Amino acid sequence: MNPVILSVYREEWRFWRRSRLAGSALLLMAVMLLVSTAYTVTRGHTEADRRLQLQAQARAAFLEQPARHPHRMIHFGHYAFRAPVPLSALDPGIDPYTGMVIFLEGHRQNSAMFAEAAELASLSRFGSLSPAFVLQVLAPLLLVIMGFGSISREREQGTLIQLQASGVAAASLMAGKALALLAVAGLLLLPLGLAGLMLAAFGKASLLAVLAMLLAYGLYLTIWTLAVVTVSAMLRSSAAALAVLLLVWVLGVIALPKLASTLVHSLQPIPGKLETDLALLTDDTPISDGHDTAGAGVSALVAQILERYGAENVSDLPVNIRGLVSSEAEATATARMNQFAEQRMNAEWQQARRLDQLSFLSPLLAMRRVSMSLAGTDLPHQQRFLEEAEALRFDFVQSLNTLHARELRYADDIRRSADPDAEQRTRVDADFWRLLPEFELTPAAINERLAAAGPMAAALLAWGLLALLLCISGTRRLRP
Amino acid sequence: MIPGSRWLSESRFQLSRPAVRVILLLSIVLSASAVMLGYSEVGAQHATIERLNALDAEARADAWEGREDWGDIAYNGFHYTFDRPSSLAFAAMGQRDILPWQHRVRMLALEGQIHERDPANPELAHLGQFDFALVVCVLLPLLVIVLMSDIKAAERSAGRDALLIATAGSSHLWRDRALVLALLLGLSLLLPFWVGAVLSDTSFTLTALTTLLVVLYLSFWTWLVLRFALSRATAQVTVLRLVGLWFVFAIAVPLLGRMAILGGMPLPEPGEILMLQREEVNAAWDKPKPVTMDAFVDTHPQWREQSGVTRPFEWKWYYAFQQVGDQQAATLAGQYRAGIVARERMTWWLSLISPPLLLHKALTCLARTDLLASMAYEDSVRDFHRAMRHFYYPLLFNDTPFDKGRLQRHPTFEEAESSCVI
Repeated sequence: MNPVILSVYREEWRFWRRSRLAGSALLLMAVMLLVSTAYTVTRGHTEADRRLQLQAQARAAFLEQPARHPHRMIHFGHYAFRAPVPLSALDPGIDPYTGMVIFLEGHRQNSAMFAEAAELASLSRFGSLSPAFVLQVLAPLLLVIMGFGSISREREQGTLIQLQASGVAAASLMAGKALALLAVAGLLLLPLGLAGLMLAAFGKASLLAVLAMLLAYGLYLTIWTLAVVTVSAMLRSSAAALAVLLLVWVLGVIALPKLASTLVHSLQPIPGKLETDLALLTDDTPISDGHDTAGAGVSALVAQILERYGAENVSDLPVNIRGLVSSEAEATATARMNQFAEQRMNAEWQQARRLDQLSFLSPLLAMRRVSMSLAGTDLPHQQRFLEEAEALRFDFVQSLNTLHARELRYADDIRRSADPDAEQRTRVDADFWRLLPEFELTPAAINERLAAAGPMAAALLAWGLLALLLCISGTRRLRP
Repeated sequence: MIPGSRWLSESRFQLSRPAVRVILLLSIVLSASAVMLGYSEVGAQHATIERLNALDAEARADAWEGREDWGDIAYNGFHYTFDRPSSLAFAAMGQRDILPWQHRVRMLALEGQIHERDPANPELAHLGQFDFALVVCVLLPLLVIVLMSDIKAAERSAGRDALLIATAGSSHLWRDRALVLALLLGLSLLLPFWVGAVLSDTSFTLTALTTLLVVLYLSFWTWLVLRFALSRATAQVTVLRLVGLWFVFAIAVPLLGRMAILGGMPLPEPGEILMLQREEVNAAWDKPKPVTMDAFVDTHPQWREQSGVTRPFEWKWYYAFQQVGDQQAATLAGQYRAGIVARERMTWWLSLISPPLLLHKALTCLARTDLLASMAYEDSVRDFHRAMRHFYYPLLFNDTPFDKGRLQRHPTFEEAESSCVI
């Protein structure tokens, strides 16, 4: 390497070593990073264990139920828990803002309940202690504080003129300063890298995702480094450089991203789940829970079934018409509910896309998407949880409806509310409850995650190019 | 007191400086966009409530159509409940994007319904909201720092400070200058807020209280900046010290506090509440009827005489076991809620060492967009649910024949009336 660049680099580090301020800022950031990484890794681990255990407990409770009418088990229901994915330890993403458990029952698609952010609502607005937050939001501040004077200081002390007089090229000076700051950025990436490698080696995390994450964060911090050095080179005084960089930082990582979020919410609103549910209910073709075999919409279905079996009367059927009606109603209702749910998910995804389009406001918006997608803690992951939970719900509900149709006599079924003996005969053996499938949510495959991160990685790259161009132009115009 | 002419000339001088103009302009833009977005969001929430109220009535009418059995009516009657945003919510949107402010409930066990969430897109919630409270609590200090920390150092480095003090004839020059800057900044931030308050029909008391809080907070930071800026340190050292302080107040304390609270104040597992409630409710189908009815009568002795159940299915027994399910889960649910409230209390203590957090909590409390307001809303839903039970139990236990006219007397949801009491 160019020896001039190297000596500028060394000189900058010597300056930081002598500066109490730089030292304490670096130390503070290092502590926050280490604490946050240790905290999220251990917490993610126990949280995952706990939710898997709850999932097992929920299934065990289902299997332990006594002999019952199958439809009772449809209302007894089941739970789907969302266990955190391995890399949520590095970037929890939207996890804290989504519910962690869904109650699965017949005729309804419930919402995910209990979000971590709601359990400590007033502090969740002030950032979360995760490596992703520290790197996305706080690390740029450290770069600002350590680098705002990198060039302007030389100018103020009159050393810039000496350096240029002694033949040091502006480019070497800038490169040396930028390299010194990049070394700081590299230090900040260490905890993330180590934790990531550990999770890949001993856990189920994908090594590729960890490496891609490191690369993306490296690029993100490089963007900030270039911006800091450029501003320091272009402004007259260190005080001015610091003021400008502070404003750029607070706008770039706090104000503009939040503004973008609120703007999208306001300009592209989507109806809530409650509203969607109500729209579904007040729609022209109301959905039925299939509890009623005499209802208006059901008679056509009953006639169809009678014809299929060539029977005159429902009591002549070899199967229990109530189970069939239940099953049919569930299938129809589910198709309609899925249609609405899909629309809603689509709208949510469109909002996320709109947010991505606003990433020209701040590189943080691009970085955030890349990081969440790679970790598997983004919106598609949450939606997959909802979809898989729904698939599980439909699966066991329909298995129970089939049981209802095949194992129960119609004559008993219609008398069960009034006749205790008939009621006893409508209970099926508890062994049948084994029909409930296991549930485990796994993160998307690594190639899917890489593909999801792709577009915003390109945006991040564009930011990098822009920063590089600005830096080059700043270098050309460097005057003592 | 500063003479009026000095105010004017000093203001004119400050406004002639490009840096000051840029920062003031930025403040106005930030504050105005925050107020505008908050105002439109509050409008959207009001519109949602109106729309859902209408849809709800329609859906219920459909669901009740042709039903002539009290138990059946109760089973199919969902009721929309909601928490309207207050007239100050536009300025502090608080936690309404993560805490529920609307539910649709029916007479089944409430614990199975009250935890449902209808949250905003988590993608958006993750970034947080941009509102006036954020601009004031988090951004204002940095604006003050950038605006004022070179107040003396700049003149000193230009060699003018001795001259200035001599000609102005006052050692209060820096203080006056800072006051003028604070006033200009305060006005740029507050003007959009006042416009928003007028448009939102915010009461004079609330507007004045908010203004007072903002002025106090601005004074605090101005005082702090002056303390540091008037030392012999250079402008950049002053800024760095102040930014360090801001960092500790606005970021380190809330973050570390959050970690300490999450780790040190664990909540009962919420999944357990759900499962306990569900198991209690469903176990009733297999238990001898008197077991359920006895547990019910323990809390509702007035129905002891009518608590006999003869058929395998009777609505009064069905609702009795829903009630008993809630009773069984009450302890755990109460602990969960008490845990959340205890955490919230702890954040008030924590905010004593973090002025930004303190102001944010105060503003969201005044705007009724905080956790306590959400709890008050939850209480109003519980009250309504209780009123429904009071309405239906006599009809079910006395075997009152169905009479459509009596539905006129069906309880209606009453909105929570609450104010900010810590």
